[in-house]
Amino acid sequence: MSNTKKKSKASSNGHRPRANARGVADAFVRSQPKNSKTNGTPGNGNLRTYEIPDYRLEHPNFTVHQAIEKDKQGHEQVRYEVEGDLNTPVPPIRDSKYLSKQQAIEIYRFMLLNRKMEVALENLYKQGKVVGGVYFGLGQEACSCASAYALDKDDWFAPMIRNQGSLLVRGFRAADTMMQYMAKADSPTKGRDGTSHFGDIEKRNMVSPISMLGDLIPVLSGVALGARLQERNVAVMTYIGDGGQSTGVTYEGINFAAVQNLGLVLFVESNLWAYSTPSEMQYRCKDLAERAIGYGIPGVIVDGTDACQVYDAAREAVERAHRGEGPTLIEAKMMRMKGHAIHDAAAYVPKPMFDFWKKRDPIARFENYLVKEKKWLTAKENESLIKEVEEVIEAEREIAVNSPMPTPESAEGGVFCEEGCHEIKPKYGMPKVKKGTSGYKETEAAVHLK
Amino acid sequence: MQLTYLEAIRQGIWEEMDRDPTVFCLGEDIGIYGGAFKVTDGFIDRFGPERVIDTPIAESAIVGAAFGASLTGMRPVAEFQFMDFIGCAFNQISNMVAKTHYLWGAPAPLVLRGPSGGYVHGGPFHSQNPEMWFVHNPGLKVICPATPYDAKGLIKAAIRDNNPCIFFEHKYLYRRIKEEVPTEDYVVPIGKGRVAREGKDLSVITYAAMVHTALEAAEILNKEGIDLEIVDLRTVSPLDREAIVQTVKKTNKVIILHEHSRTGGLAGEIAAIINEEAFDDLDGPIVRIAGLDSAIPFSPPQEHHYLPKVEDVVREARRLRAY
Repeated sequence: MSNTKKKSKASSNGHRPRANARGVADAFVRSQPKNSKTNGTPGNGNLRTYEIPDYRLEHPNFTVHQAIEKDKQGHEQVRYEVEGDLNTPVPPIRDSKYLSKQQAIEIYRFMLLNRKMEVALENLYKQGKVVGGVYFGLGQEACSCASAYALDKDDWFAPMIRNQGSLLVRGFRAADTMMQYMAKADSPTKGRDGTSHFGDIEKRNMVSPISMLGDLIPVLSGVALGARLQERNVAVMTYIGDGGQSTGVTYEGINFAAVQNLGLVLFVESNLWAYSTPSEMQYRCKDLAERAIGYGIPGVIVDGTDACQVYDAAREAVERAHRGEGPTLIEAKMMRMKGHAIHDAAAYVPKPMFDFWKKRDPIARFENYLVKEKKWLTAKENESLIKEVEEVIEAEREIAVNSPMPTPESAEGGVFCEEGCHEIKPKYGMPKVKKGTSGYKETEAAVHLK
Repeated sequence: MQLTYLEAIRQGIWEEMDRDPTVFCLGEDIGIYGGAFKVTDGFIDRFGPERVIDTPIAESAIVGAAFGASLTGMRPVAEFQFMDFIGCAFNQISNMVAKTHYLWGAPAPLVLRGPSGGYVHGGPFHSQNPEMWFVHNPGLKVICPATPYDAKGLIKAAIRDNNPCIFFEHKYLYRRIKEEVPTEDYVVPIGKGRVAREGKDLSVITYAAMVHTALEAAEILNKEGIDLEIVDLRTVSPLDREAIVQTVKKTNKVIILHEHSRTGGLAGEIAAIINEEAFDDLDGPIVRIAGLDSAIPFSPPQEHHYLPKVEDVVREARRLRAY
């Protein structure tokens, strides 16, 4: 690929207006091929079209490509350049079909907790208290918090590294995540792993993520399969980035959920940058929601910086899962507003992109919506809410900082579930089994290799 | 009841599914077709399509789904059509399943099973013995039975175990060996070897199909006055260190025999255990007999050359005896 060659508009991959972008769509109608009336198509004239509901109120229209620039000494350097309209006005928040005033405020509070926890983590890092790096969900708080908020108590989820807000919504403490980052003895993994890499199969139904991307998708599908064998349709929510979805196991996992009609709610977080690689170098299709067509499942697009859109799409997908209607793919469009981790200044991101998305800060937009548009919060109430959240985070920080480091010897043990360590029993009740009348008889069938 | 090795495994899984409603099977072509080797033949008629699930050709999804289901308290038994294909699910097994209990305390009671091994001219992608990929992964139990009795007892133990177990079935043995297997319920403990043949002159430490190779060699050597002791490990992870040390202390001479490639093979690990725990008991060098350091070739003369043979054991035993 030539570095100087600019991408043609035709190869743009998704941040341009769709020709027939629908406003309010009836989400989750299974994509059905439709006979088009268009003439001149090959063969018998049957042109199949599919619908991807798009909740967004704007369709950002720009692409990133590689270009050669000259530095001050005249040496050539390859850089990313953005091309397109970056001056469009910020759209309003779309009113939720479902959220009450109280629920909207609660999501807003989780988003504040999410952000202020990450600010605290950044400070802890600067104080040398963090082991390793810090990963941020800046700009993605609406997606993490409003998605997890749509889950019922019995549902399951698994976050990715930036979904630290989802953990708060599901009832983990900010101190849990902080202690993970500081590798403390009281962290959920007792120092054995960091970041959001922990889980809880008892109360909060969370599967621990691993660093390899996409592997959670079949695992969450399996959770839904296990629950279904126990006669429960649970929703299982997980996330994948526009980078992570490039992995083969992503395909395997979604396809498995589709074939088995399992209640997977997959958020594809299109945050434009996978470490330093722009989404244009990850995939070629217009929008990742289009992948859903290939899986034969519903796909939908939301503005990932609009908590109401994220919640509505998540809720409808969760309800589908509860009805046993199978998986849903939700593409949430937004931008990762920091580097891959704290060490990374993201100098490769063209500055106009930061400026564009900064105006779409999910918390500022939601705050404006609640305070100024809906008037569900007075300025004073908002102020005291922010203060309360800051106090919570400060108290959590204290707990985390005061936890001791684990002893060296605590590295040992626990490799296996030994006698009496866990009782394995079906979480939702013993499966009711129906047995056929045929009994055991020896097999005499031919086999592949003898 | 006289059962083949394959039938013993079938019966073991069948009985566990009959006994425990949380046990279910998933894999490629295991339903109406009954699996490439017919291990689950007839299962779908008895237990229904909900518990005998045909999956897409997607090994990472199979392992991932099995793991996810196990987190809800189910006991999945996932079949690999051939164990060679377990490599397609390596990350899921190594990074997800194996580490889960150590890192975040979630037990993963699942079984990954399927046919492995050579001697049937399956070629480089249908003959491998990939157990060592998992022996080096703490958190997994790796089981390689040699007899119908052990195969049945160990598959039942694996299904009842609270940890991820990888169960390697030797496809050469599937229908070639038969023995009396009790009709009543029993399990064989995971992690315990057995003495397959008592002897006094030198020991062969081995497992799976190689146990039978060693037994054949023992008959030939017996006529020459060389009395072989054969230790069948049955489980290769965790290893039965006691069984290894005991036989070394008894015969003082050891051959380690395995089918997979020599370099980085199990023999190296066993030799290290002997070095650590029974060095003073050795009266000769530790001898390795193993597959060649190459892929397993397809053509029968080449495959024969690659794999350990009875005559290899006979030759090495004679050589070691002379020390």
